[in-house]
Amino acid sequence: MKNLGLKSGIEIHQQLDTGKLFSRCQSRLDSSTPDFTVSRRLRALAGEMGKVDVAAAHAAEKKLTYIYEVHNNNTSLVELDEEPPELINQDALDIGLLVCKMLNCRIIPYLQVMRKTVVDGSNTSGFQRTCLVGVDGHIETSAGNVAIDTVVLEEDSARRTAETKDTVTYRLDRLGIPLLEIATAPDMKTPEQIKEVAEILGTMLRSTGRVIRGLGTIRQDVNISIKGHARVELKGVQDLQQIPKIAEIEAKRQKAEIDMARKTESHVRNVKEALTSKFLRPMPGAARMYPETDIPTIKVDMNLVKEMKIPEMTPVKIKRYKKLGLNDELAKRMADSRKNDIFDRAMKKQKLNPTLVATTLLSTEIELKRKLKLESGKFPEAFYSRLFKTLDEGRLTNESISKVMERFMKGEDFDKIISEFKPMSDSALLKLIKDNYDKDLPQGALIGKIMAKVAGKADGKKVAKLIGEFKK
Amino acid sequence: MNSTGDKVRIKHAGFEYSGILLESTDDNIYVLKLSNGYNVGLPKGNSKVTVTGKLPITKLPELKLEKNLKLPNVSLVSTGGTITSRVDYRTGAVHPITKPAELLSQIPELKKIANISVTPAMSKFSEEFSPKDWSKLAGFVGRELNKENVRGVIVTHGTDTLHYTAAALSFALEGLGKPVAIVGGQRSSDRGSFDGAMNLICGTHYTTSDIAEVAVVLHGTSSDDYCIANPGTKTKKMHTTMRNTFRPINSMPYAKLFKTGKIEKLRGSNLRHAGEVNVKSQFEDKVALIKYHPGLSPKVLDFYVKEGYRGVIIEGTGLGHVSAETWLKSITDATKKMFVGMTSQANYGKVDPYVYSTGRDLFNHGVVYLGDMLAETAIVKLSWVLGQEKDKDKVREVMTTNLRGELSDKSVPNGFLY
Repeated sequence: MKNLGLKSGIEIHQQLDTGKLFSRCQSRLDSSTPDFTVSRRLRALAGEMGKVDVAAAHAAEKKLTYIYEVHNNNTSLVELDEEPPELINQDALDIGLLVCKMLNCRIIPYLQVMRKTVVDGSNTSGFQRTCLVGVDGHIETSAGNVAIDTVVLEEDSARRTAETKDTVTYRLDRLGIPLLEIATAPDMKTPEQIKEVAEILGTMLRSTGRVIRGLGTIRQDVNISIKGHARVELKGVQDLQQIPKIAEIEAKRQKAEIDMARKTESHVRNVKEALTSKFLRPMPGAARMYPETDIPTIKVDMNLVKEMKIPEMTPVKIKRYKKLGLNDELAKRMADSRKNDIFDRAMKKQKLNPTLVATTLLSTEIELKRKLKLESGKFPEAFYSRLFKTLDEGRLTNESISKVMERFMKGEDFDKIISEFKPMSDSALLKLIKDNYDKDLPQGALIGKIMAKVAGKADGKKVAKLIGEFKK
Repeated sequence: MNSTGDKVRIKHAGFEYSGILLESTDDNIYVLKLSNGYNVGLPKGNSKVTVTGKLPITKLPELKLEKNLKLPNVSLVSTGGTITSRVDYRTGAVHPITKPAELLSQIPELKKIANISVTPAMSKFSEEFSPKDWSKLAGFVGRELNKENVRGVIVTHGTDTLHYTAAALSFALEGLGKPVAIVGGQRSSDRGSFDGAMNLICGTHYTTSDIAEVAVVLHGTSSDDYCIANPGTKTKKMHTTMRNTFRPINSMPYAKLFKTGKIEKLRGSNLRHAGEVNVKSQFEDKVALIKYHPGLSPKVLDFYVKEGYRGVIIEGTGLGHVSAETWLKSITDATKKMFVGMTSQANYGKVDPYVYSTGRDLFNHGVVYLGDMLAETAIVKLSWVLGQEKDKDKVREVMTTNLRGELSDKSVPNGFLY
């Protein structure tokens, strides 16, 4: 591979866990039957400076009808191309700026949202809104620094759900979800290095705690050229493990093209299941880009960027949680969770058992939702901070946590619930033990009998201890 | 000194950016197009600019329109608006196309339907239109219609006040024997989803049809499936941004128009016939439309009387009401001096003075009830009638007589929410 003169860069596209970028819709994919569909055509038009972009012309030549599936709850007229965009989602922009800072980029002082011509139907308007946020950054890798060329905040496209000879069906739920695109310089010289860089970038993005997780929420494109061949972009790399193999196959394909003395042109290819690839379209040029006139220039608040804290990287966080006493699995889940802030705060303020706090945050809530058959709704941060404070002050027993949460979820007042779960006093406990004592029962069964009467209002260990004392 | 189109290097905060300088809407920032196509803004303060070259000015190729003798001749009169606008890449703003032929080069399908000759009448956003523009436009359209070899006329127009112009042309073109399609667009022509293309294609098909009416031709639905031809006096912009914004009110559309040329008629109309159109293009400026709302002071009406207006249309509530308690005196004074017409802000349905005592009071004090005429159509009609006629009784008579489909003799059940 080395003597082929491989040069490679990658582009990472990561969905951000905020509402849509230019409409106030939630970013949620929907697998239910669409509420309705509309059908549209797209035209190739002369772009900036009067040039028709080659990629745009290529798509428009196919003369397809595009069918768009609409769900009223996650689609607005913006996604339907029936209304101008709303102003940029500040949350998403802030995450973009933070990532720029993490990648040592310089941030563009005034951002200009652009329209990038896309006429394959994946954008109802015929363009994708995209905005350059940062340039010229770098990350450290085992083989030295790798330059980050650009960090771009853009709209995700609609997702393709069906296709016939004359039509392509897209669902609009994904259209407009914020995507952060990070493009590296072609600094990588081995397939393994490409994989490492992809992993580092992925970890950094996840460490912000603000990215969407799961299949299809992060997509990698790999740019590859060997000496004497034009740059080829490989789209749709699903799994980082595949990168070395895909790169190798593409390098060989390019080598074969050169050997056959074919004219090599810059283009985009789609990666197939067998990790080989297929021609998709010519490489889009700068001609496909012009300003989004419906959105004013955005002035970046550089002071805000200065104050942004670089998040702790997930691997570092996992290590820290293990040190606190969480087991491997719990440490990983806690570090990956958006609730790790609540966990950190509880650990700082209260002297509670870390495993108990982590389990409460990660498992109890989910179990209760399942039990009550609730799809959405979550506990506000303030609920957890009060819950942990009450626990820490001994005004609640560990055994009552799930009952308190269940009643809170059903809409009862926190203070009222807590007052009903007040732990029993020692004297009251002793009286209970005395009234229910049965010398014929074995110790375990006896504790069980007493605990049932206690109904969570006393700690099990304490009950056992008091029974022991009573026996004496 | 640097100027738009210069290739430059800008040094800002210790970093260098190179690209092409674009015009900026903000005096305090430079807008630079980088080689990757992205635009960035840099504050002018603390920035040092070095000019390194100049961008060659590219010109769009001139369009040669070749005549196909087998195809009908259609005239296109352009007035401005979204449909004939494009992004000015130097300023980043939307501007009217100065050469409408450019539009035809972008919609090559048109060349297969008709030989289209383009006449720019004006270049205005539609909110800038006044009755003087209606007169001017009627003159242009009339001249084209009276050319023997012209099958029909397309007018391109901004959508905001397109329905006012549609009504104005309906009244001004007396004895119309050919189709007139007024076409607009809701998406700009720079984008792949430009809706005006299909509207123009369907509009062109309309002008070659046998429907001799002024019609507003835009999308029928949010899909690119067909357009509808709405009667010029019975339509209104019902949505600020959607493609299918123009709906027929108290009527069915004349027809559904498909890109293929298929026409599906939905109601009756005047049919194509011989004879010149008689252009009556005088419009009176001193007319006003008053939208009544709870609490509105009758001083609004007094003002127009004092200013010597010749007529007002009131957009009243429901069946055509204003507060009798506070307005009756002003109404009584006004109707002695000028025409006062009543329409409804309900849009659909007709006004009726006989159902409630308020209506009877207003009617008895000289307010003229205008049936199911749209308020917008009524103000245009009044302006036109007063442009031709001085006699008060005659004005009243013409206002209550159906001339161009503006007043229905019966309310059709399928005229609601088409």
